[in-house]
Amino acid sequence: MGYVELNVLNNPSPEPTAVGALGIDLGTTNSLAAIWRDGRPTVLRPEGRSGLVPSVLHFPESGPPIVGREARDHAIVDPRNTLFSVKRFMGRGLADVARELATLPYSATENERGSIQLEVRGRKYSPEELSAFILRKVHEVATSALGGPAPTKCVITVPAYFDDAQRQSTRDAARIAGLDVLRIVNEPTAASLAYGLDQRDKGNVAVFDLGGGTFDVTILSIEDGVFRVLATNGDTRLGGDDFDQRLADLARDDLGRDHGDAVTHDPAFQQAARQAAEHCKIELSKQPESEMHFMVPGKRVAWRRRVARDEFESLTADLVERTMDSCRRALSDAKLAIGDIHEVVLVGGSTRMPVIRRRVQQFFGRVPHTELDPDEVVALGAAVQAQILTGGRRDMLLLDVTPLSLGLETMGGAVSKVIQRNSTIPCEATEGFTTYADDQTGIDFHVLQGEREMARDCRTLGRFKLKGIPPMPAGMARVAVRFHIDADGVLSVSAKEQSTGATAHIDVAPMHGLTDSEVEGMLHSGFANAVDDFAARRVADLRTEIGSMIHATEKHLNAGRAGLDKESVQDLEEALTHAKAAIQGVDVKALQKARDDFERAALPLAALLMNNVAQKALRGKTLDEV
Amino acid sequence: MQNCSACGAPLETPVACGTCGAVHAVAESATPFELLGLAPSFRLEERELRRRSTRYARWVHPDFFTAADTRFRELAERNSARLNSAFETLAQPTQRADWLVVHLGGPSEDAERAMPQPFLLEVLEWNEVLEEARASAGPDSRIEPLFAELTARRAENLAQIEELLEPLPERNSDALVLARRELNALRYLDRALREIESLRLARAERR
Repeated sequence: MGYVELNVLNNPSPEPTAVGALGIDLGTTNSLAAIWRDGRPTVLRPEGRSGLVPSVLHFPESGPPIVGREARDHAIVDPRNTLFSVKRFMGRGLADVARELATLPYSATENERGSIQLEVRGRKYSPEELSAFILRKVHEVATSALGGPAPTKCVITVPAYFDDAQRQSTRDAARIAGLDVLRIVNEPTAASLAYGLDQRDKGNVAVFDLGGGTFDVTILSIEDGVFRVLATNGDTRLGGDDFDQRLADLARDDLGRDHGDAVTHDPAFQQAARQAAEHCKIELSKQPESEMHFMVPGKRVAWRRRVARDEFESLTADLVERTMDSCRRALSDAKLAIGDIHEVVLVGGSTRMPVIRRRVQQFFGRVPHTELDPDEVVALGAAVQAQILTGGRRDMLLLDVTPLSLGLETMGGAVSKVIQRNSTIPCEATEGFTTYADDQTGIDFHVLQGEREMARDCRTLGRFKLKGIPPMPAGMARVAVRFHIDADGVLSVSAKEQSTGATAHIDVAPMHGLTDSEVEGMLHSGFANAVDDFAARRVADLRTEIGSMIHATEKHLNAGRAGLDKESVQDLEEALTHAKAAIQGVDVKALQKARDDFERAALPLAALLMNNVAQKALRGKTLDEV
Repeated sequence: MQNCSACGAPLETPVACGTCGAVHAVAESATPFELLGLAPSFRLEERELRRRSTRYARWVHPDFFTAADTRFRELAERNSARLNSAFETLAQPTQRADWLVVHLGGPSEDAERAMPQPFLLEVLEWNEVLEEARASAGPDSRIEPLFAELTARRAENLAQIEELLEPLPERNSDALVLARRELNALRYLDRALREIESLRLARAERR
């Protein structure tokens, strides 16, 4: 298979207008944008600078957060107000990230829906908001590289093994940043697009992607420009950070013995040790021996130690082997033997470690491709996909898969798989269910993601209830539950009772994540400048409340019209129009008034609906008709 | 096969027209074979199936409809999803046979559960070997021979199914009941083979 070598080092002169769409790699350690220009993808680099934005945020005493390189410089001196590795928290709850939190100097809490919140300078931030700051910075850098406004349309990459909640969080982060996401694409698949540009042959490719915080391996077959993912496997909690941590642990053990917890639990120590470890690791990729050294500000503690590459490799051997386990599983799922793989591609900065290159080569029996910078290849691939999506080329097509099986909890806590892992997306599947008790009028559905047999071992994506099943003997109702995964890999589920047509639908709102109204709230209230966070929250809540009142009223007004006097109907219709206008605003007082007026006007309808007569009139209709 | 309502050219697949590019609304009842433009049959060349699936994916994949209006975008997404699901159903011989049996009015998986006594005894024997292998830390010399045996049985079983379903039997005929029994036996075989695969992976991971 012949790969074209991309010359990404020499940028042509910037174009003045925002055309096309950006490809953005939102990474754990670094983020980067690329764009399609002059017939190829190009990394967006402002003159004389790297385009790489370290995914680090620093919150100064006042004003907006500083993002990127400048923020990283604050990590040691002001660790409590400097955040990094935010990606590890996307779509997660506290329990999911206990291990990460133990080594990071953050104070974290959970909101009422179990989404993690990181606290900085007395204000809580969701990982989506924090990622949005990073995305804005990436967009800024792209704008300065282009010499004019960069497009807001973009393709954003995520690790292939990200689950539904993590994908939705990424999409939400982009919306908060004011970006228009054309597609969420898996990082390894994007990388294959960057590498496979001009190839016409066919073959199987393994993409080995070890980033700062996540690991993926993806097996693709390429034929006539169609990139079909056969299988993907990985670990969303294994990355370069873990290799750094092993070196940092050396210092922690040493200093812990001499100075105790007072030093090793100090955030300044943790940051200093981490940065020294990262530096040492990078040096060890170039030379057989390096010195790891750092000072803890304010503690009068200094530490230094020589580390040989051999020692580093034995400290991290189990991490490397974990990546090999994933390779075996991906091959097994793809039903391929090692000999069926024609090309191997390395992606992610952590694949610069010689031990990784050696082990991958040994495992696949092939020299892996490293022609493209492993830190840039994902963004370049995203730019190729952006070009496809904006109509630039139709000769290439990416057929990606869903990394994890999706199913429903059945009686006894078992999981019935509705969509198997590694199914090509978009996809849909329908599963039949029935009632288990006589005259049961509703069924609760528990939507799950994961490979384990029992519901308690899988991740909950959501719960919903199908109501309005007419009373009948157990086992008679025929309920069809339809799962649909869109091209971004995000799931929606609907259920329908087939004799009555009763329906229920959810766009599976992740257990850990933002509700739509929260995202909207952050968008509209311009949270970056929000002086009063409480007010912003109140605005979001009021809008949600009014939104559901509008929805309910529109749903019931026609059915109830006959039972109401003319004046009430007119009042309510006026209030409805007024509420629709008010919901666009951000003023707390105006929203509050609109809500109260609306509630008053809706009272007669609500009373009517409570009434038996109305119930009788509505009987036999489906939820949607009511 | 129908003709395209937009340009009149004959349609290879109901999802879209390869001649004029129009995307069509597809009846809920369209079968996986219809979606992929194939006559229902157990015997199917995998390469041909793959060729059609990628060819039609190019006509309806949502990637090519980002600028289209909402109705067409949704239609493309829906048709794409249905094509992909049809491909998943037909690509595996067991799933394909299962679909054919049900489609022709034969018994469902749950309706024909009984397995012959001697077969069940054999299953118990494999399971015993597998359970012991799982419990022991060292390699088990019985695993690879068992794998070879089960793989051979699986091939025989599929040949049997092919004989029953090719040419397609009459609706509600006895051949469908027999095919269902073979499919049920296949489920036991496949479960054991998956078990062996995960044992192999676990052994590779035991360090």
